[in-house]
This record gives sequence, structure tokens and C-alpha cells, in this order.
Amino acid sequence: MKHRNHLALLAALVSATASAQDITVYSTTMAQTWKTDTPGFEKKEYAPVTEFLGIDATKLGYDALSLHLYGWGRTDMKEASGFGDKKTNGDLTFGYLQYDFDKANAQIKAGRIVAAGTTGNEQLDGVFARTDLKGGFAISAFGGTPVIYKNMGILPQRDIGFQRNFIAGARLSYRIPRTGEIGLSYLQDGSNAAYQLNTSTPRTVDYTRRQVGVDIALTPVAAFDLSGRTVLDMANHPEDGYDHKKVAEQDFRATIRLAENLSATGGYTQRNFYSYYAGATLPSLFNQKEMGTYTATNGAVTWAPMANLSFTADLRHTKREVYGTTTRTGLEGRLNVPKAGLVFGGSYHKSIAFKVKTVDSLTPAYSLSHSEMRGWMMYEKGAFSASLDAIRLHFSDSALNPALNGKAIQSAIVGSLGYQAAKSLKLSGDIGVEDTSLYKKQVMGLLRAEYRFGFALKGGK
Amino acid sequence: MLKKIALLAAVLGLGLMSACALVSTEASFARTHPQELPNGRPTCSECHGTEAVKSTQKTFASLNHTAAFAKDHKVQATQDAATCATCHAQSFCSDCHGGKTVMPASTKLGNRPDRVSPHRGGYLTMHRIEGKIDPTGCFKCHGRANNEKCSACHR
Repeated sequence: MKHRNHLALLAALVSATASAQDITVYSTTMAQTWKTDTPGFEKKEYAPVTEFLGIDATKLGYDALSLHLYGWGRTDMKEASGFGDKKTNGDLTFGYLQYDFDKANAQIKAGRIVAAGTTGNEQLDGVFARTDLKGGFAISAFGGTPVIYKNMGILPQRDIGFQRNFIAGARLSYRIPRTGEIGLSYLQDGSNAAYQLNTSTPRTVDYTRRQVGVDIALTPVAAFDLSGRTVLDMANHPEDGYDHKKVAEQDFRATIRLAENLSATGGYTQRNFYSYYAGATLPSLFNQKEMGTYTATNGAVTWAPMANLSFTADLRHTKREVYGTTTRTGLEGRLNVPKAGLVFGGSYHKSIAFKVKTVDSLTPAYSLSHSEMRGWMMYEKGAFSASLDAIRLHFSDSALNPALNGKAIQSAIVGSLGYQAAKSLKLSGDIGVEDTSLYKKQVMGLLRAEYRFGFALKGGK
Repeated sequence: MLKKIALLAAVLGLGLMSACALVSTEASFARTHPQELPNGRPTCSECHGTEAVKSTQKTFASLNHTAAFAKDHKVQATQDAATCATCHAQSFCSDCHGGKTVMPASTKLGNRPDRVSPHRGGYLTMHRIEGKIDPTGCFKCHGRANNEKCSACHR
């Protein structure tokens, strides 16, 4: 959508709030500053100012009609902090009118929406509608123009825009009485094929997506639940002589609550690169031609010996077919001390990873194994708040891994102080120090002003 | 021509009436949670016990915000968006799930270490390691649309 259309849409939506009875405006203004000192590169200083602005206006003439807007804008006071020389940037994340019916959980949204009702999380300019049907069934559908961002580099932006001219999806579900829900969904992203492009060079990359998904969530008893989904790639890909798997993704998770304070979760994931990456707009990175599969099995046990104390031990074993296996194990804990206004958290994880083979005979392979240690605390009492967050990574093969520049330990620490200046205004400042293999010691400063006006309970604390 | 329009109108009218007859007559789910919840991850079953969430046929316990739930909630978001919306505004999701983002969630929420925010701790280095271990993890957020930053290096 062109900028003038964005502005017209935004002006129309904002003017609609004039008749709203309840309005919540939330704004976060952030001023950042940092310097980069990368060996071999020019030193640079950045000072971007970013504004996040959201509006939720309800009861726009009718009780059930509401407006929801959210977006951001950035301007650079010194060097351009994004890519390229552009010193300003922005985006309307969503902006839509919503009508909620009193019956059947029926709902209509129109504008720039985020639709998560099928196989992915789609951002589009269009319409979404859903309703419950009799007998436990429900149906939802959306359609419109997909939001496509600029791709830098050699990617044919015109080809992507041409092929992804339209997006639509639908989901039919059935709620099994006192047991759960099963859903069947379809997504089509783009209706033009690559061969329809009027160019002298035939295009071989197909950016369209067609997927069928089956999702399930079963909770036959309060002590057990199973959820997951299977996504199938239904697009017609050019013949290349290989027998490709149609299953793009299988992802399932089960949880057993063994006692009130003890639960165990286990999961299995499988993703086939060829079908999972179908429609990727960056095939050089998300390589659809990689003939492989990624699988992961994982488990976690959460134990809460006291109401405000919990521990989670987790294990994840993954396999990338062309590289090898990785096992990540760890423990994390949280302690909440409400009377003192304190929350503490900490974790330790160790990843034993495969070795990456190189073409260099001097360094034939390097390991990706590493460990991660993190500790954090938060304090909030009266108008004052504070937090501290420290992370330390230890790499086992710093000498050979080219990503590490010989650095075995990487660390970052962020401290924050906040003051609730008024009921609707909070000011805070963060100082972050990073010591990474990419930069020398880097100090970053951030000032944050959070403004919230309104009465709604929502917001997600 | 008029006959065709009349026939089409009749078919559409009948279709609409049939569709309306299929729509559930049950009252919709509450739009907001009646009480404001305290800070921290809520355990829904603490107050709601073993009962099922109205009209979803699932137990409140299945929506408890455990560590596993915080890291993986895509099925719940697909199936129970109305339940999520009783406490969370859409912008809460956008803190992490943004199509076009301006900064990592961990920077935006630098004063909220309790939230699961992606890209902590010098991520420019880490993504070269984690991307090799699991490139599908990157694709979930950055593969389909938000390529401006990726394609600056990955051409």
C-alpha cells in the first residue's frame, strides 16, 4: 500500500475515535544512544528516537464497535540506525475496526489486521470474520492484500509483489464436548504464478504459498492436555527430479499435571525444509533446496515447592539432517517476593552441538557448543522500579569458529531505573553494556517515556 | 437479465437464511476479565479449578501460563484468540510478533527481564550459531515478510 493510502486509512481510523466512549491511548517514546567500534570498520555513533503509539477506542456509537491502532515511527538524530541511508522509518502494525456480536462469538475486523487463524501469523490489509455454529462447529475466514516489506539486495521485489497479489485463509473447527477442539484450515498467499511474469528471463522462484493445516487441542481431564498442528504444503512446485515431502511441519506438545505444584511437558517437532520454506522471499538464507529435515524432541518439568517459587528443568534434542545433532539442557528458577516488591530469576543452559565442516583444510571443522548463564531481578515499590539483567555465554570452540573472532566469552548486562511520575506517565532509563565477539565493549543508553491514558483493563502486564 | 438477477438474489437470500440458521445462539465470551490480574504469569486454574472455559470445551488449566506455555502458545492463539483477548490487547502480541520491527523485543522491554523476549545478549553473534542449529526458528518471524534486515547481509 502506498504512503498516501496509509495516511488516508490512518486519518479515517483516527477520526472514528471522536465518537468513542472509552479510549485507551498508550505511547512509548524511546531515545537511544550507542557507539560501535568494530575492528576494521569506521567508528559510528547512533541516536535514534522511536515512538510506539497505540489506540484502543471502544463503543464507537454502538457498544460492540471498536477501533484498534498500533504502529511505530523512528528518526535518527545521528547516523542512520537502520539499513541504507534512510534516517526515518515507520510502520502501521495494525489498524482496524472491529465489531463483536453478542451471540456466537461472532466478530468482524476490517483494515490492517493480523490473522492467526490458519497455519501462520499473517499481516494483511483486508477483512476477517468468524462465528460459532450450532453443534460445536465454528468457522473463520480472512482475505485481502498481504503486507510485503521491501527486500534489499538483489531480490526481485517486483516478482514478489506480482506473485503475492492476494492472501486468503479459512478455518473450520469442531469443539468436542468437554474434551477439546480440532481444526482444519487452508491458506493461499498469491494467485499469480512465476511464469506469468512478463519478463525476458523466465523466473524459476515461486513466492506463492498454499498450505493446509490441521490443529488439535485436547484436554479430556484437567491433569492432561495435548496440542499441536500439522501443516501440509499444497503448492505446485517446479519439477526437479526429487520426491519432496508434502508435510511442512508437525509440532505437538503434551502436558501432564502430576500434582498441583508439579507438571511435565514433552514435545516433538519436525520440519521439512523444502515444503516448510515454500514461498520464502529470501531463498538464499531460507534455502528451500536444502534436502533435509529438522527434528526436535523436548521435555520440561516445572516444580513449584512454594507459591512464589518455581523451577523448570528442560531438555531439547535437535537434529538438522545435513549437519548433526544438538542437545540443550538446563535449569531455570523464579522467586517472587511480593511484600518486598521483588522478583528474581536465573537460568543455566548447556548446548552440546555438532561440528560444522569447512572447506578450509587448516580448520576442517568447528563446534557450535556453548553454555548460557543468566540472572535477573526486578523491583517495584511505590513509584520506583528497577531491574537488572545479566547474561554470559561461554563458547567451547572460539579459536576455530569464525563467528567468534577468537573470543570465548561474551556477556551483556542491562540495568534499568524507573519512576512513575503520574498515574498515566512512567519514565525509565536503561544502561546496557555488551562485550561481544563482534564489537568491542559497547555501552548503550536508553530513555523511555511510557504514557497511558484510559480505563481499559487490558494491556498484558 | 432481470430474471438472472432475480434468480441470483433468490439463491443468495436462501443461502444467507440457511447460513444464519446454522449460527450458534449462545451468548459470546466475556470481552474483558472481570478483575485486573496481579503482576506475573497467571495460573488460571488457581481460581477456576478444573472447570472448562465457557464455549471452548477446554480446561482453564490448559491455559496456565507456565514456562512451556510462554515459549509455545501458537495453538492457543489459533484456537482461542477470544480467550487471550480478555486480558491481552493485540499490541501485547506485537511486542514480539511484529511484521516489520524497529528493534529487538529485548531492547524494547529492557526494563522487563521477566518477559520472554527474543534476542538477548549480543544476538548478532548468537544468531550465527543458533541459525545453524535451527534455521526454521528464524523463519517463523523473519522468513516470510520481514527480510529487510536479513537481506542486508544475506544476499
